[in-house]
Amino acid sequence: MKNDIRRRREASDLSQADLAEAVGVTRQTINAIERDRYDPSIELAFKLALFFDCHIEEIFDPDVELGFDDG
Amino acid sequence: MISDVLPDSHLGQVRFYRRLLYGCAAVGVVGFLLAETLGYPLVGVGIYWGGLVGMGAVKFGTSVRLFDERDRALERRASNLTLYLAGGVLIVAAPAVFALEEVRGYEAPPVVSGALSGFSALFLLWGVVYLVLKYRP
Repeated sequence: MKNDIRRRREASDLSQADLAEAVGVTRQTINAIERDRYDPSIELAFKLALFFDCHIEEIFDPDVELGFDDG
Repeated sequence: MISDVLPDSHLGQVRFYRRLLYGCAAVGVVGFLLAETLGYPLVGVGIYWGGLVGMGAVKFGTSVRLFDERDRALERRASNLTLYLAGGVLIVAAPAVFALEEVRGYEAPPVVSGALSGFSALFLLWGVVYLVLKYRP
């Protein structure tokens, strides 16, 4: 799931550790989210949206379609 | 006092307690192996259990959450992959060993039959846990 966490974080002049501290996860988790290697839980997504003062869908682009995902 | 060495930041505290946790594990395992090697097996078991108690004290004695959601996701993926690998070995090897025993009187080495029995027990346990989780109230 694509996201623009890195852009928002850098625009706020924050390190990954700063953001991790603010939302209560490890720096490695923020790094994995920024690299699209880990999709955060709904709870963490809400925390990130709260931190950046925006809606979840402004940060994350899930690229999903309705119906069964049969690949 | 632990508060004297505890970092101020939450992430620092997580790192601190994780190192303490892994340190207890290392002391327990290394101490066990060392005592075994030196011919003191009971002392080794004592050190090992001491390490376990230390790990439990660190894990349950602090309000700091030592592992976040990604750590738990990684654990789940690793567990899934392990089960898939064990399942692959069991599905392929068990019928072959059974057939060889029946047809050619082949007797599998204890390590092979032990591993297959262990994998079977693991999947039985997995099935029980799965059903409990599925139907729990």
